Amino acid sequence: MREVAIVGVGCTGFKSVTPEISYKEMMFEAATRAYQDAGNINPRKDIDAFISVAEDYWEGFSIFDEFVPDQLGAVLRHLFTVSGDSIIGLATAYMLIKTGYFNTVALESHGKPSDILTLHDIVSFAMDPILNRPLGGHPFYVAGMEMNRFLCTTGNTRDQCAMIVAKNKGNALSNAFAAYGANVDVEDVLNSDMQFYPLKKIEISKPADGGIVIILASDKVATKLNENPVWIKGVGWASETPSLETRCWSKAIYARLAAEMAYKKAGIMTPSVEVDFAEVDDLFSYKELQHMEALKLCRSGEAGKLTEEGITQLDGYLPINPSGGMLGMGWPLEAAGLQRLQEVVLQLRGQAGNRQLSDVEIGVAQSWRGIPTATGAVAVLSNYKG
Amino acid sequence: MAIEKITDTRQMLHWPGHMETDYIYTLGIACEKFFIEIKENGRILGAKCKHCNYVFVPPKLYCEKCFAKLAEWVDLGIQGVVHTFTVAHIDINGTELKDPEIYALIKFNGAEGGLVHKLGEVRPSQVRIGMKVEAVFKPQPNRKGNINDIKYFKPRE
Repeated sequence: MREVAIVGVGCTGFKSVTPEISYKEMMFEAATRAYQDAGNINPRKDIDAFISVAEDYWEGFSIFDEFVPDQLGAVLRHLFTVSGDSIIGLATAYMLIKTGYFNTVALESHGKPSDILTLHDIVSFAMDPILNRPLGGHPFYVAGMEMNRFLCTTGNTRDQCAMIVAKNKGNALSNAFAAYGANVDVEDVLNSDMQFYPLKKIEISKPADGGIVIILASDKVATKLNENPVWIKGVGWASETPSLETRCWSKAIYARLAAEMAYKKAGIMTPSVEVDFAEVDDLFSYKELQHMEALKLCRSGEAGKLTEEGITQLDGYLPINPSGGMLGMGWPLEAAGLQRLQEVVLQLRGQAGNRQLSDVEIGVAQSWRGIPTATGAVAVLSNYKG
Repeated sequence: MAIEKITDTRQMLHWPGHMETDYIYTLGIACEKFFIEIKENGRILGAKCKHCNYVFVPPKLYCEKCFAKLAEWVDLGIQGVVHTFTVAHIDINGTELKDPEIYALIKFNGAEGGLVHKLGEVRPSQVRIGMKVEAVFKPQPNRKGNINDIKYFKPRE
């Protein structure tokens, strides 16, 4: 069976604003770094197919796909855009290679939220126009409602959510790509403004600009391009109902189903034992806890306790979001999943600098499409082809 | 290190863009019946799947569990329970609200869906998950057949 590896990553880093470059130049920079990282390949002849992940409304273009090829070296080549989170883009690239038609695929995603003057109007426009939108309000009230139900149902606590913020912003201090690293403690979080009870302002990841390009290759060519390929052991994705009225408000069912699909493919039976570390969506502090439980990294209601005991810190036995997550790195819209994935690749290669984890072989990256969606994706990676 | 950073690039050279997109959203068969019933009779209806024994609020024409077409309507009354809630302190532009708004998912006895709406006639500190509430409708002549025909839900005596 044909295996698929990641042989190159390129990233611009993330910043609160990027007035110095356009989104195209941002993509060009990430792509140039990724091609260099994959053995200095030439995309004009060495990449068989290209995928970009983007949403028209985030970009401010109708039919944004048409604006993609030039800055990736993909003109006159085989390219399409996936509208979804970038780990869904990864799953698509993985399957392209699995077909046998392609040996190398470049996957791109970026976010430039500082160009969007009315970001939350776009989020609001994603809500049901008949049942939800007429109520008005800031769409993140949905997160406050979910956090409230999640804490009430699982027994995880308000303070444990605050600890996520302290941990992730702290981890981000060791990550040069991160926009929002800071030393904060639980008290700072609890003193932050209440925005959507019980969610505080500092518990909401801030938008950040940046782009990432990932190069995937079949086992036929992977080791020729990179001595240390990181193997994709499994991918999964799933959607729960988009209806706020009928969905589950306590558990991340979409992430559970996506994880089960990815684990099955990867042959992982006991994730809490076999997975060495994970990068999970933490758009809101409580989401890290909810997603840990959905990924079966612990039992329901235990994620907060593991956090409190320091088990999810860099030196714990199950580090979560060593990159700093989105609370630390910033929220790059549809590039959020590749931001998680990139950290897993760097950790498995032993290239994570001061935040490098020791003895890691299996890492998981998980994404969520954000408010108001119930869609997520999971990738299981390893530095062993095995 | 500053935790808050500048996020407004409007001071830099740029070309302003504006997407003018106007739509109408057709309610469809199920929602049309739902909102006409609210408008004319002040009643909240659910659609029942006779295969799954699952009552959908708001109603749909199809069962999301088994994909069957739904044709049976159930009157759910106007009383429900707060499944979860939040208190919003800012509006969509990030401006602090003088009067924080309470949003809740209200579930109805006999149905597993519910309605997202605001709570009224209650202080934020008094709201609890599990609280019993009932719909407060606008006066009939002012109703237009939309979700705002319900002004809010208020605590039940």
